[in-house]
Amino acid sequence: MPSIEQPQQRQFNPYSENGGTILAIAGADFSVIAGDTRQSEGYSIQTRYAPKVFRLTDRAVLAVNGFAADGNMFVKKVRQRLEWYRHAHAKDMPLRAIARLIQTMLYARRFFPFYVYNILGGIEEDGTGAVYSFDPVGSYEREACRAAGAAQSLVQPFLDNQIYFKNQLPAPGTSHPAHLPLSTVLSLVIDSFTSATERHIEVGDGLEIYIVFSKGSTSLQGLASVRGLQEVTTTDDGERVFVIRRELKKD
Amino acid sequence: MFLTRSEYDRGVNTFSPEGRLFQVEYAIEAIKLGSTTVGIRTPEGVVLGVEKRVQSPLLESSSIEKIMEIDAHLGCAMSGLTADARTMIDHARVTAQNHAFTYDERIKVESVTQAVCDLALRFGESVHDEDAMMSRPFGVALLIAGIDELGPQLYHTDPSGTFVRYDAKAIGSGSEAAQSELQDKWHKQITLQEAQILTLRVLKQVMEEKLDQHNVQLAQVTPTKGFEILDETRLQEVIEAM
Repeated sequence: MPSIEQPQQRQFNPYSENGGTILAIAGADFSVIAGDTRQSEGYSIQTRYAPKVFRLTDRAVLAVNGFAADGNMFVKKVRQRLEWYRHAHAKDMPLRAIARLIQTMLYARRFFPFYVYNILGGIEEDGTGAVYSFDPVGSYEREACRAAGAAQSLVQPFLDNQIYFKNQLPAPGTSHPAHLPLSTVLSLVIDSFTSATERHIEVGDGLEIYIVFSKGSTSLQGLASVRGLQEVTTTDDGERVFVIRRELKKD
Repeated sequence: MFLTRSEYDRGVNTFSPEGRLFQVEYAIEAIKLGSTTVGIRTPEGVVLGVEKRVQSPLLESSSIEKIMEIDAHLGCAMSGLTADARTMIDHARVTAQNHAFTYDERIKVESVTQAVCDLALRFGESVHDEDAMMSRPFGVALLIAGIDELGPQLYHTDPSGTFVRYDAKAIGSGSEAAQSELQDKWHKQITLQEAQILTLRVLKQVMEEKLDQHNVQLAQVTPTKGFEILDETRLQEVIEAM
């Protein structure tokens, strides 16, 4: 007796979602780019230390969140393009140019995207601190601050309130500052991640905070007392890059 | 002289036993037949000037095009087989636009010059059994003027694909006399207007016809206005100031 064939469906999903959160805040003459180091899939932690924040040049740091495999490959490709650019034009690529390059690289994969949200932080040619945020297919804009990833919905409203002063009225006769000092920014970053760690299961383990200073930045003095600080500058062009490594709760 | 070259001056990609590429050398000779072209770099910008040979009174001198725009901050003057320059300038324009598209910044003068020179030695190149795209070297030399983060710059390119940066350079038939005049008169603090006048003076010296606003062309690249070809009224003013 012939069996009656039922319709069958097969599927392959090339993407996964590896959790974690990144965030960046621009100061007047510095930029802070941070991310946690947990990498998970579902309820399992794959590793407690998988960096999501990468120093590209001495004035550009890229944070990548989403599908970790795509993220690592994307950073690798950006770095390759930066090296080609250095060979062709005898200079490091400016931040603004890196931002546009990332857009063209992401949009080139419009129909099989890199499943990643990018946040680029660093120093512009004019010495100001800058943050650029991207969606997976390359839409981008320059902002003062941005959070992305698993705990974006927890962190971004906090940043909107504390950095853009949303829903806050200035004291009579005063106005809100356009840029915050480094110590305030670092406190906000650390508080954002400890809170996200408490409330989101995919955030935790470790925290890496990169700080990029423009030439002769006066904000450097604020670093003296910071615990777990390490300088990762490679050139003597004037811009300086530091990283702060901290522990986050592991449960 | 030509008897000894009879074998090796035919192939475009064959060295002679003395280690020379005759077709490339002949191409460089072809430039010496071209009209005189002058470029001067100043701290305020770069000036380009060309002689337009008006062979007939019936010829519309405005149709002779020897200075062309590459991008808003880049210009180019030529001497030699000017038709060959079209291919090179097309390539330069595409390269400059691609750079602006990909990096949101203006391409450097040296980078665009390098891109043009990359083309120069592509003659005689073929892939498998396909025909070569170019059969001979370019017969044209370019003066590429532009401004970038390193300031105003002037580059000279020749058919061998070599490029060199100059403070002032003359190419074409009157280049020898023109170059020595430039060497005498150029100085570090030369102003843009002085450079315009010097360009015309140098051209005037080597031209057979009497110089007027129809048989020369001036262009400049400045930080504020970028590349511009001077129209006949402005040219007339410089001629009168000369």
